[in-house]
Amino acid sequence: MSGSTPEQPAPGRPALSDDGRGPARTLADGVRLPTTVRWLLAKVVGAVFVLWAVATLIFFGIRLIPGDPAEAILGGPGSQASPEALEQVRRDYGLDQPLLVQYFTQLGRLVQGDLGDSYSLRMPVAELLGNQLPGTLLLSALALLVAWLLALGLAGWSTLNGKAAAVVASGLEIAAAAVPHFWLASILILLFSNTLGWLPPVSTNSADGLVLPVLALALPLAGFLGQVMRESMLNAMTSPFALSARARGEGETGVLFRHALRHAALPGIALSGWAFGSLLSGAVVVESIFARPGLGRTLLNAVTLRDIPLVTGVALVSALAYVVVMAASDVAERAADPRLRAA
Amino acid sequence: MSFPFRTPRRAVVSAAGAVAAVVLLAGCSAGGTGSEENAGEPVSGGNLVYATGDAEPTCLDPHVGGNYPQALAASQYLEPLVSKNDDGEIIPWLAGEWQESEDGLTWTFTLREGVQFTDGTPLNAEAVKANIAHVQDPETASSTGYLALQKIESAEAVDDLTLKLNLKAPDSALLESFSMPWVAIQSPKALERSQEENCAAPVGTGPFIVEDWVKQDSITMVRNENYNSPPADAAHEGPAYLESITWKFIPESATRYAALQAGEVHVIDNAQPDTIAAAENNDVIKHLDAPRPGASNRLELNTSKAPFNDPLVREAFVRAVNVNDGVSSLFFGTAERSYSPLSSVEPLGYSDESLFGYDPAEANRLLDEAGWTERDAEGYRVKDGERLSLEFPVSTNQSIPAEQSLFEQLQATAKEAGFEIKLNLLDLSSWYGALAENDYNLVSAPYTKVGPDVLRILFHSDSTVPAPSGYFANLSQVKLDELDELLTKGSETSDPADRAALYEEAQKIVLEGYYILPLYDQQNHFLYRSEVSGLRALPTVSTPAFYDVWLNS
Repeated sequence: MSGSTPEQPAPGRPALSDDGRGPARTLADGVRLPTTVRWLLAKVVGAVFVLWAVATLIFFGIRLIPGDPAEAILGGPGSQASPEALEQVRRDYGLDQPLLVQYFTQLGRLVQGDLGDSYSLRMPVAELLGNQLPGTLLLSALALLVAWLLALGLAGWSTLNGKAAAVVASGLEIAAAAVPHFWLASILILLFSNTLGWLPPVSTNSADGLVLPVLALALPLAGFLGQVMRESMLNAMTSPFALSARARGEGETGVLFRHALRHAALPGIALSGWAFGSLLSGAVVVESIFARPGLGRTLLNAVTLRDIPLVTGVALVSALAYVVVMAASDVAERAADPRLRAA
Repeated sequence: MSFPFRTPRRAVVSAAGAVAAVVLLAGCSAGGTGSEENAGEPVSGGNLVYATGDAEPTCLDPHVGGNYPQALAASQYLEPLVSKNDDGEIIPWLAGEWQESEDGLTWTFTLREGVQFTDGTPLNAEAVKANIAHVQDPETASSTGYLALQKIESAEAVDDLTLKLNLKAPDSALLESFSMPWVAIQSPKALERSQEENCAAPVGTGPFIVEDWVKQDSITMVRNENYNSPPADAAHEGPAYLESITWKFIPESATRYAALQAGEVHVIDNAQPDTIAAAENNDVIKHLDAPRPGASNRLELNTSKAPFNDPLVREAFVRAVNVNDGVSSLFFGTAERSYSPLSSVEPLGYSDESLFGYDPAEANRLLDEAGWTERDAEGYRVKDGERLSLEFPVSTNQSIPAEQSLFEQLQATAKEAGFEIKLNLLDLSSWYGALAENDYNLVSAPYTKVGPDVLRILFHSDSTVPAPSGYFANLSQVKLDELDELLTKGSETSDPADRAALYEEAQKIVLEGYYILPLYDQQNHFLYRSEVSGLRALPTVSTPAFYDVWLNS
C-alpha cells in the first residue's frame, strides 16, 4: 500500500464545503492538507498497523496451540511420518529456524507483498486467495444486502402496523439474531433440499445455488440490524419533525419513507462494517456446510492443518476488507447524516 | 452386502491375450458379467459425481505423505503391483508373477506386458525401480509408503519386465505392502517433474486420468481410452464404462447426503450412522459397508504411567465400561462390536469375547484389590490422595460424532466404578501434541495397513521411540520382549501356517494384557444411488473402485 500524494488545495476554496470536507489545516512544515486527505492518510496508517498486528498475532498465536506443522504437512493421522520425511519438510519450509528468524523472514516477505506458498495446498497463497476471494465477497455482499432489505422491511411493516406488529417483529428479530449459522444452514438444507427439493444443497454461483447460503448468513444479521433499525424508526416517527410532516398533511407511509427511513438507516450503516466482519466469520461455517469454495472454508482447513502462510493470508485479506468496508461505511454515514459533516 | 461381481479372473499376462480379450469384449459388450443384483447390460459413458467427506488431499501423489484421502482418489488413476481378492489372497495386478527366494532376502517380480502409463511411457522393471527409489527418497517426504518399503535394500532390473528386490531382512508383509495405493506405480517420466507438478496430476496406468484439480471444489478425472491393466478380480476388461468422474469435496455430512438424495451426486463416502439408518428407508439409495483393513478401532490404555501401569486397573477399566449398549444405541446397527486388535477383514485376526464383558461388580472388586479403596465426595475412587482420573484426548477429525457420543457414555458408566474420564476434544494438531507429551491415559487412534504386520507397528517396543515429531504408533506403550520376538518373527515368516500361529500368539498377549479395548472395525461406509451399477470396494484398503461401474439412465 503506498501513501497518497498530498493534494494542494485550490486557492480561495471555501473553508467548509458541502461535500463533507472540513476546513483545511496546516501541518508543521506548512503543507496544507484537506481534511479528506488527512482522513485518508489516517486510515492508511491505521490499516497498515492493523495488518501488521494481525500478521504478528497470527504468527505467534498459531504456535501457542500444540501440534507440529511438519506432521500436519505430511497428511496427519494415517501416515505416521518417518523422521527423514519430517526433517525434509522442516528444512523445506524453514521450520527448523529459530522462531524470531522465521517471524522476521515472514514479515520481510509480507512487506514485499509476497504472501508465500501454502503448506497444505502447495500453491502461492496470493493465487489461492485470488481464486477464493470473489466467491466469498459475492456471498457476503448479497447477504448484507438481503439482511438490510429484510431488516428495513420488517421495521417499516411493524412501525406502520401498531403494537401487535411491533411485538411480532421484535420476536422474529430476537429469534433470528440468536440462531447459530450452522443450525440455520442445516435446517435450510433439511427443509428446502431434502424435504421440498426446491434448492440444491451444494452451493454454486448460480442463482438457485446462492439462495440457501445467502439466507443462512443474512437471517441472523437481519435480526440484529432489524432491532436497531426499528427502534430508530419508531423514535423518528414520534419526533417533532414527523409531527410537523403529519401536520402538513403527509400520510403515515409518506412520513415513513420521506423522513423516518433515513434515521432508521443510520445505525444500520454505522453497523455495516461490523456486520461485514460478522459475515466473513459466518462464511467459515456456511461455506463448509454448503460445500462452497471460499475464504471461510480455506481458513478452516488452514487452521486445522497449521498452514501458517495461508492462515496469515486469509487473515490479512479479511482485515483489509474489514478496514475498507469500515471506511466506506464512514463515508456513507457522513453522506446520509448532514449533522456529521459539520462535526 | 454382496457384490455383483465375485468371479475372479486370472490376469491375462501376455500382450496378445490382453488385446484379444479387449477386442472380444468390446465386440460383445461384456456379455459375461453376472447380474445377481444389478440387472441390465453395462452402459458406456456418462459422468459420475463422487462426494468425499474426507479431507482434501494436499497432494494427489500418494507417495508424498500417504493418508487415506490420497488413497481414495489415487485408486482411480494409479495401480499397485498386486491386489487382494475377497478371500484375502494376493492376486496379480501390474505384476503377473512373483517369487520369493529360499532365504526370503530376494524377491523377483515379473511385470505385465504391454502396459503403458497414460503419458505413453511403458511399464517396465526400470519404471518400478524408479518408483521404489521415489518412495525411499527423503525429498519425497513419504511416510506410509516409506514404512511399507523399509526392508527393501536395492532393486535391479534383470530384464525389461523382471525386477529383483534385495531385502535387508525377510519380509512376509511385502506383497501386502505392494497392494496398497501408497506405493502404487507412477510414470518414471512424470516423477522427474517437480513435486508441485506431480502432486497436481500424477501419471499412472489406471482406468482414469487426472485432468483438472480445482482446489476446495473438485478433481476431474477422464477415462483412459487405452486402459488394459485391470486387476485379476475385475469384472470386465478394456477401458472403464464411465467417461469421467467428478470428485467433489463436501465436508459436511448432512450436505453430502442431501446432495445424494437430490441426485446431484451419485456416491458419497464417510456416511454417518444416522444417515445410513435414514437411507435404509430410501429405495433409491444403497449402502456399501467396507471396513478398513489393519487395526480395529480400539481404545489404547497407556501403560507407561499410573494408573494403567497396574494390570488390575486396566482390567477394571475394561470391565467398568459398557461398550455394547453404547455401540448398539449410537450406531444404529451399522457397526459390529470387535474383540480383536485386527480388523474383521484381516484373515489372521484373533478374537476373544470372554475378556471384554461388562461387569461392574468385577470392576469394583479389581479396583479394591488394586488399592483404590476410598471414594471422594464426587464418588471417584482415591488412592494416596490421588483421584482415579484418566486423561482422554479425542481427535475430532478422526472420531465421528457417534464415536464421541460413545466415549461420553463410557465416561458415564466408568464413573459408577469410580473412574473419572476427562474427555478432551481436540483438533488434529493439538491431539498430536497431547500424545507427544505423554499427556494421556486413554486414546483412540486409527491405523490402516494391509495385513497383520500392523501389529508390529502398534505393539513392538521399537514403536514407543518417538519420531522427531514426538509421534509414536505404540500408544499403549507396551514393551514386552516376548511380544517383540513374536512380531519380528511374524514379519519374517512366509509359511502361512507358521505366520498365522505367531500372530495369534501375539494377539493373545495384547488382548490378555488388557493393553487395548477393541470397539469395532474402522468404519468405512458408502452410500450410492441405485442407478450406479458395479460398485465395489477394493479388498486391499477398501477404497471404492469405479472401473467396473456404469450408470443406468
